[in-house]
Amino acid sequence: MTDMLRRLRYWIKSARRSEELREEMELHLTEKAAELQADGMTAECARAEARRRFGNVGLKQEESREIWITRFWSELGQDVRYGCRTMTANKAFSALAVLLLALGIGANTAIYSFMESILLRSLPVADPESLVVLNWHSRPPQKDGGQWVVHGLQGLFWPGDTGNLVSGIFPYPAFETLREENPVFSTLFGYFNGHNCNLAIRGQAMIAGTEYVTGEYFRGLAVSPAAGRLIDSEDDRAGAAPVAVISFATSQNRFGEPANAIGQPILVDNIPFTVIGVAPPEFFGVDPAEAPDLYLPLHTNLLVDGARAARLYSDGNFYWIEMMGRLRPGVSTAQAQAELAPRFHQWVATTATTDGERVKLPALILNPGAAGLGSLRRKYSKPLYVLLMMAGLILAITCANIANLLLARAAARRREMAVRLSLGAGRFRVVRQLLTESLMLASLGGTLGVLFAIWGVRALTFLLSNGRENFTLHAELNWNVLGVTAALSVVCGLFFGLAPAIQSTGSDVMPALKNGRGGGRRRRGQHVLVVAQIAISFLILVAAGLFVRTLDKLHSIPLGYTREHILLFTVNAHQAGHRDREMATFYENLRKRFESIPGVSGVTLSGSSIISAGMAGGAYRGPIKIGAVTIQGVGVMAAGPRFLTTMQIPILAGREIDDRDQPDSTPVAVISEQLARTYFGNENPVGRRITFVDDKRDLEIAGVSANLRYGSLKEGSPMTVFVAASQFSPDRVTYALRTAGDPLRYVKSVHEIVQEADPHIPVTNVVTQAAEIDRTISQEVTFAKLSTGFAVLALLIACVGLYGTVSYNVARQVGEIGIRMALGAQRGAVVWMVLRRVLLLAGVGLAISVPAALSASRLVKSFLFETQPNDPGSLALAGVVLLSAAILAGYAPARRASRIDPLAALRHE
Amino acid sequence: MGRKAQKNDSLPGSLDMLILRTLSRRDLHGYGIVQFIQQSSDNELLVEEGSLYPALQRLELNGWIDGVWGMTSNNRRARIYKITTAGRKQLAVETRKYSKLTLAIARVMGAE
Repeated sequence: MTDMLRRLRYWIKSARRSEELREEMELHLTEKAAELQADGMTAECARAEARRRFGNVGLKQEESREIWITRFWSELGQDVRYGCRTMTANKAFSALAVLLLALGIGANTAIYSFMESILLRSLPVADPESLVVLNWHSRPPQKDGGQWVVHGLQGLFWPGDTGNLVSGIFPYPAFETLREENPVFSTLFGYFNGHNCNLAIRGQAMIAGTEYVTGEYFRGLAVSPAAGRLIDSEDDRAGAAPVAVISFATSQNRFGEPANAIGQPILVDNIPFTVIGVAPPEFFGVDPAEAPDLYLPLHTNLLVDGARAARLYSDGNFYWIEMMGRLRPGVSTAQAQAELAPRFHQWVATTATTDGERVKLPALILNPGAAGLGSLRRKYSKPLYVLLMMAGLILAITCANIANLLLARAAARRREMAVRLSLGAGRFRVVRQLLTESLMLASLGGTLGVLFAIWGVRALTFLLSNGRENFTLHAELNWNVLGVTAALSVVCGLFFGLAPAIQSTGSDVMPALKNGRGGGRRRRGQHVLVVAQIAISFLILVAAGLFVRTLDKLHSIPLGYTREHILLFTVNAHQAGHRDREMATFYENLRKRFESIPGVSGVTLSGSSIISAGMAGGAYRGPIKIGAVTIQGVGVMAAGPRFLTTMQIPILAGREIDDRDQPDSTPVAVISEQLARTYFGNENPVGRRITFVDDKRDLEIAGVSANLRYGSLKEGSPMTVFVAASQFSPDRVTYALRTAGDPLRYVKSVHEIVQEADPHIPVTNVVTQAAEIDRTISQEVTFAKLSTGFAVLALLIACVGLYGTVSYNVARQVGEIGIRMALGAQRGAVVWMVLRRVLLLAGVGLAISVPAALSASRLVKSFLFETQPNDPGSLALAGVVLLSAAILAGYAPARRASRIDPLAALRHE
Repeated sequence: MGRKAQKNDSLPGSLDMLILRTLSRRDLHGYGIVQFIQQSSDNELLVEEGSLYPALQRLELNGWIDGVWGMTSNNRRARIYKITTAGRKQLAVETRKYSKLTLAIARVMGAE
């Protein structure tokens, strides 16, 4: 302890102590010299001899100091101080290196933080590791004759690994079968997404995301209420009192605080419910993509959906309910699967009625449920991997560039190192000092990288959400990730600092002292790094080219309808209790009132917007018969009066749907040109009939429209049928207002009119047509923007690297160039001599990169639209851009080389 | 930062022991110590002068000697070192160790 105190005291007074030590040694030398002089030496000789006998004064001083404080720390202090001095002396170099590193670290951390929150984060419930999601997979029904045990469904499928279909929806009887005496699950619970309901609280209507859950749901997830109680098995049976659990946020927004909500009456789609509890604040259900506002007992869908729902509970061929189970302690997922898969198989076999159905029965698979359902993962993981790959490449370029800068600088400081070595500095000491400098750069870069990462996370949230209001994915900066990236940057600093440091402290100091211009080995190292940077930049340039081209293709798709000056919004009167005839009249009256808004030149309505029709589903799904021919997959849209005129879709024959089409008049249809051409050839289809087989409805063709992109931009079908909204009566409608000027200016009037007509109906999905269309290609837009940004960055970094290397080479060759010019070389020849090397480097980089780009671009194939991964245009463009940039970067030093004054150069030599 | 207490060379001729022995006779400054050792050994022992100062620091850190600023015989400001009680104990230990060692060596050398 006293020992520590002594050291501490010394440390505090270290400056004075080292001064004292110096004085002591000085005295020693003086006395020694005096003694030698007394023996007859000259003063000068005596002094030198005293020093010689004493040894290395500086080293001995250091050794003495080291006795007290560990030398490491004192030298570190010196190194850091010295490092700061060199950094301020080379502002441009240091700023560049720090900035590059920060960008690399920031981009990587931001993207990886997102990936973590999507791919790895666990549900905020107790022991999430023991949760498993029940899925099944099956061969797709299109094969082997189209017979399938799944007769009807309400939910999602996604493609599995081997061309199989995978899904998480089951018939209710399957849930009951698996729930009985389950030896592997402590609880098995079900749920299904009720999507948006009209939730009215104290007369105020809002749209609420709704989750229907079985009685075991909250018990199985081990969630405790923030107030009241949660839904249990007693609440979940036909005829039980209708109760609801609301989310914490809803309770705060609507009731002030959770406790106030308990026992309050609410209306869900106009059905009275009582709030019995509030979910805890962090709870968002089982799907990270959704955050329900409302949890209802499963069987209450009998009240909300009516007779439609009743049939679901007994039908073994209708798939709709999703399931999760909590494993009993000590049971593994594999054991559970081995136990349950045969049970499910046995059950599902009883639901098959034909051999065609029996050959492709769904098979049960259990997936880990700790992170909840995988919808977000399926949607975003691949794009994020691509982005991460690009950001990783940027980091690689950055590291290569910093290594290059450090190499060049080490070469420039070779003389300094040689001087220090010959003055007696330990080799390790010099290496360590160089390392400290690179580490300082790396840590500064890392610190700034944190800032970039924070901005990056915000920017990515903004880009990915792309204006959607209820974007639930909120990534936070992940400090673990940041730690790893920062460590990476430090390691990078160490590694790239070490090589030049060891080189420049090589044993032979004499040549360096003599001329100070670098040697051959280092040049090769630099060239390798430059080539690597060029190769990587090319990869990123190609990616950017492909994504920009894809976006370009998407933008140039002819829509067939107008995208400007249209305001879209959705109204659901059915959820507010309107029915049948009265509902149709309500919608029609509303339409007329919108027409009276000043500045609105036309109002129409439809089942959904044209672009989202693919997602929303049309007015009729199923086979259509024209004459004797049956057609599948035709888009059917319920449209109000003058839909085609408002959307500026040309009418080619007959008439469009208008006010003449009333519920009682002849059902009519307007078909698209493509449909007319395909099934009527050159005949006029007007007046002919088409049949909706499943609905058993006959319609008269009233007109022919031009073709349009119905559904999504990419897979839009030109086979379209418009039917009269008055005759097909959709539950909810999307209004389209044709406006003068910015459509969003009319939003206020729209809200007022709907509020006046029925205060229980909220207006939702308010958006301009242009924004609605752009939203469907948001991923492509994001990719094009980000990859272009990355490409510019990569190119910039690579050019800086190239410029640095070439400048260094020119500086090294001043003598040679001087001789050449003295012997009569033209300026052009000198420029060419320098540029030739630049082109050679770029050429080698390209030669390496082109095959790599060809194979790597296949990875992004699924993100491209009408663009081949090996698109020659993109490759050529990337090559040209890269070469031009390289020449640009090389030209400045080349010009400088050609301006060398031979006389001055030779004198210098 | 932790570093073990400074280790003494246990070989004969250990500089630490010589310094302690010198200082046990009288207080001296660095150069004086070198001269004293040289003279009292009839110039047989030449102290590597540079190594003296690290050694002094080591002894001071261990609390065996104490340095204060004073004046030399020819009126120069110098750091004069004194041996402490702990230093005297250490000297005794070292002396014992040393005589044991020289005795052992002498036995080996004399055993013909």
